[in-house]
Amino acid sequence: MMTESKEIKLIDEEGRRVDGRKPDELRPIRIEAGVLEKSDGSAYIEVGRTKIFAAVFGPREVHPKHLELPDRAVLNCRYHMASFSVDERKPLGMTRREIELSKVLREALETVVFLEEFPRTMIDVFVEVIQADGGTRTAGITAASLALADAGIPMSDLIAATAVGKVAGTLVLDINDIEDKYGEADMPVAMTPRRNSIVLLQLNGRMTSEELKKALEMASQGIKKIYQLQIEALKKRYSVVSLEE
Amino acid sequence: MYYFNEKEIVVPGQLLADDPKKSGPGTYVLDGKVYAAHAGLPKLRDGVVVVIPLKGPYKPEAGDWIVGVVTDVKPSSIEVDLGGYMTAVLKYPERQGPPEGLTVGDVIYARVKSSNIRGVFLESEEMKKLTNGIIISMTPARIPRLIGRKGSMIALLKKETGCNFWVGRNGLIVVSGKSSEGESAAISAIRVVEKEAHSQGLTDRVAALLKSAKGRNHDDREQGDKAN
Repeated sequence: MMTESKEIKLIDEEGRRVDGRKPDELRPIRIEAGVLEKSDGSAYIEVGRTKIFAAVFGPREVHPKHLELPDRAVLNCRYHMASFSVDERKPLGMTRREIELSKVLREALETVVFLEEFPRTMIDVFVEVIQADGGTRTAGITAASLALADAGIPMSDLIAATAVGKVAGTLVLDINDIEDKYGEADMPVAMTPRRNSIVLLQLNGRMTSEELKKALEMASQGIKKIYQLQIEALKKRYSVVSLEE
Repeated sequence: MYYFNEKEIVVPGQLLADDPKKSGPGTYVLDGKVYAAHAGLPKLRDGVVVVIPLKGPYKPEAGDWIVGVVTDVKPSSIEVDLGGYMTAVLKYPERQGPPEGLTVGDVIYARVKSSNIRGVFLESEEMKKLTNGIIISMTPARIPRLIGRKGSMIALLKKETGCNFWVGRNGLIVVSGKSSEGESAAISAIRVVEKEAHSQGLTDRVAALLKSAKGRNHDDREQGDKAN
């Protein structure tokens, strides 16, 4: 792998990326809501080769009881990768990275959900990565917010997310696994698309302040497109209900 | 100024109106504008904008009738489970003992006295213990459809099946009838209401379903008579 890495050309002569995309192009995205029978709300997202399920349960009784809050609901989030989701088998259980991402996702979702409407309860959000090819946290949060909306939980806005990376000196939108591994920077961004407020921003690598500004602009453009797909999925889900004869 | 079409589903965060006074259930106000808080069908009802949920958790409000299961009897209060995620409290004077001799596992039909940060409390005077029937659950968001406009749907079900219904806003329903045929017809009708809650001409379809169920039972009986 290491010898191969030097040969990988992340941007070719025509300005195309490893998978043939232009720098500001998203991977093909498929979003569906209400895909799991047993959950209160669910969503499925495919971003290129990344595949993720999100399921929401609740509001329900808090367990363990001592976590209960008297004035609002507890949002519990679990980001987990399946053992078979990556090239080399991931051992069972939550790794340090997964625990951290669960926290990051929870903090982003807490900003939009009206938790004070359901005191003394808990809302569980499960994000299960079935296949990983970069951008799992951003795709995960996109699916999780849609699953919450599908569950009928009141929230101020949906959340859509994507990442901007820097590979071979160029800013590129929605980076995949190879670009993440061999690129210079990776910046996941999550926003509430209607109000354009940033609810998650991480940066791994280096960017100049101009690049950061441009990257944020690119991310916000991508997020708008993802948001349209989210709305479509949610409306499709409910029109099935209302037209059922 | 309103920004929605009553036939189109809205999504959380969608702008609905300019006037903060028009904010009704299922909406929220931010910077003087009204937005949808959950997905559903927007409606203008009594001068305010409401979003009717198609799915979602039950939020108790004072005055709601609920069906619950007693989970604990304490010296001066009873804990009632409202369908899995919420417990309500029914207080009673200690010297009188639990009303109607309630014990753990009993099903009650009661009214919500208050619901706030301190919890959900039930009215002890208007409480009723339900001794027989079948308890079923459905999405709380679709209970209003089961009741119907001024109780029309439930009245129809009562008339056609001969069963008694105790419908709780929390999504639990107790059906009790003289015959098991009536009860099973009632349950299948409730399932139809739950599945097709937001489609047109639902009342007619339920009426037709109940009629055919009745006819079938009748035929079965006749055939049985002939065989004998």
